[in-house]
Amino acid sequence: MTPIVEFAHVSKAYEQKLAVRDLNLRIEPGTMFGLLGPNGAGKTSSIRMMVGITIPDSGTVSLFGRPFTRESLKKVGYLPEERGLYRKMKVMDQLIFMGQLHGLTADVAASRSRAWCERLMILDAAQNKTEELSKGMQQKIQFIVTLLHEPELIIMDEPFAGLDPVNATLLQDTLVDLKKSGRAILFSTHRMDQAEKLCDEICLIHGGQAVLTGRMREVKSRYERNRVVIDFEGEDAFLSHEAIAEYRQYPGHVEIKLKDHADAQALLRAAEQQAKIYRFELVEPSLEEIFIQTVGEKVDA
Amino acid sequence: MHEAWLIARREYVERIRSRSFRISTLLIPVAFAFIFGIGALSGKLAGGPKHIVVASNDAVLAESERAELIGAGRGAQVSVDVRAPIAEPELATLNAAVENKRLDGYLWLNVRPGTRQLDATYASRGSADFLGKDRMQDSIGHALVREELMKRGASSEEVKALLTDVDLKTLQVTNGKAVTADASKGFWSAYLMAFMLYFAVVFYGVNVAQSVVAEKTSRVFEVLLASAKPESLMLGKLLGVGAVGLTQMAVWIFILLVLSSSSLWMNLGLGGLAAYGVTPLRLIFFVLYFLLGFFFYSSLSAGLGATVSQESEVQQFNMLIVLPQVIGLMLIVYILSNPAALPVVLLSLFPPCTPIVMCLRMAAMPVPAWQLALSLVLMVLSIYGMAWVASRIYRVGILMYGKRPTLPEMLRWLRYS
Repeated sequence: MTPIVEFAHVSKAYEQKLAVRDLNLRIEPGTMFGLLGPNGAGKTSSIRMMVGITIPDSGTVSLFGRPFTRESLKKVGYLPEERGLYRKMKVMDQLIFMGQLHGLTADVAASRSRAWCERLMILDAAQNKTEELSKGMQQKIQFIVTLLHEPELIIMDEPFAGLDPVNATLLQDTLVDLKKSGRAILFSTHRMDQAEKLCDEICLIHGGQAVLTGRMREVKSRYERNRVVIDFEGEDAFLSHEAIAEYRQYPGHVEIKLKDHADAQALLRAAEQQAKIYRFELVEPSLEEIFIQTVGEKVDA
Repeated sequence: MHEAWLIARREYVERIRSRSFRISTLLIPVAFAFIFGIGALSGKLAGGPKHIVVASNDAVLAESERAELIGAGRGAQVSVDVRAPIAEPELATLNAAVENKRLDGYLWLNVRPGTRQLDATYASRGSADFLGKDRMQDSIGHALVREELMKRGASSEEVKALLTDVDLKTLQVTNGKAVTADASKGFWSAYLMAFMLYFAVVFYGVNVAQSVVAEKTSRVFEVLLASAKPESLMLGKLLGVGAVGLTQMAVWIFILLVLSSSSLWMNLGLGGLAAYGVTPLRLIFFVLYFLLGFFFYSSLSAGLGATVSQESEVQQFNMLIVLPQVIGLMLIVYILSNPAALPVVLLSLFPPCTPIVMCLRMAAMPVPAWQLALSLVLMVLSIYGMAWVASRIYRVGILMYGKRPTLPEMLRWLRYS
């Protein structure tokens, strides 16, 4: 399958700072792709090259299987990190203008805007000036601006920042629907819980470099399931088992980190002989832990 | 190109709809009319009929002065009484009359007995006089001469012929023909047009900078840049704002044309536009120079606006836009009286000064066609150069936040592809 986005050895430097270093990326259609990393890692710099706001110093950016041209931007929707709307303009006028800028006719832009406003429950505000709206509503408008021209590639820089849980869920569900209809979606975030829930693939960048890439499952499977949570009643002598590296004990509950390549099943057998086990769960590290671990290592290095 | 058009149209529609556009379109001409009206009408606004008395110990002289005053006070309503011959002590009653406002003032002409020497005193409550001091003096001089001539047996026709003011006509040579022109009226029109040009160019130039900064601070650029090139953004903005300025000019010129042919205008004795030397050619060039001046300064302004992050910082470089134009305004008198002097010609061909200086020169003389053509060519070339530089600064600058770039940094931006 032709990738929607492909970065090949892309580097970009500003005045003194190297923002992106030798970055390789590949996003397939129908994928939710998470661009993760701490603040200042180079997420926004990478995204800006994807939408032609800046041009890489070296390497190539390809969209839809062809080297970047402005023509291909017609099929891209971009939601920038900072909200970019005309404050004095009426919401509907603004949506139509942005739609036209993306090549729609005024009529099509108007009818699609109305449909989207209805879906995101902000139709009542459509005749207001943008500056009169709340931050969350403005974010929804921005969201619609990104999607009006039905782009095949949707790029969102921190789309859920500053949204309340209800609206964040509404927009997340919308993104999932769009993904199901075959769009490629890339979004950046530093909220690992969101990424873990939504993304099929991730790329973790740090200091301008990709430090971890791949499908979510695959990335997580690289890390051992070496955490055990046990709810029990009775003796706790099994806590001295040779498989355990360290543990934290609470009343009737213990969280265990196993030694590398330790046999969790042996621990289970030992435990059930001494105590009544209500729950024995072998968990993989969360993306957050992976993130902290990976970024932490790099910071140390 | 389609994007530039969309952006220009948005800019135009939003601005035309705004309240500030309506206010400035109406208020600026009102302000100008007010400023110029005060000067022109102050004489007429001075008040109702005046009542003054000519008192003298020489009855013939007093009568003669009365005739002079009525003649000199043309236009103003004035009634002049004569108290003559009277002696100085009797002035007390006149003083009382002035004091309790039964009289606006009196002129006391005292001929020293046995001589031709005359002491003249004008007494009033000190409010606006219906005649200036100069004209009052002239009228007394005339009265004396008249009396003297009559004494020597001249007929009243002869006296009248001798004392008639000479009316000096001024002509302007245009295309080899002498045409009537009123120097002072020409001056007013030149003044007005130069100031309008200055205000419009500065106003819209600064406007462009402000809206660039506003789009930058609101981060609209990020969205726009993902679908349009920076050059289209800048071009669209300049065209949009320029069209707004042009609309405003059109409204003003329309108002001027309607007003100048209205009966009110005629009643005020202001005369048609032609009397002010306002020809269609001058109006066309007025609009042309507005456009060129606007594009020159607003592309500069767009480039500079892109380098700052806050609207308040825009003011720092307003000087660059204002200064070259103020040069033209400061030299206004020199330019109008020496429109063909070499320094003036050179200044009028120097693009940053061209619009105002050329506009002034056109009011003062028929500027040779080649100079007009050259000025247009030079302006178009310099706009092209300015836009090239500005668009480069613009496209790097709009993505830079925080610290303002130094001049060397900006020069480096020019080399970015």
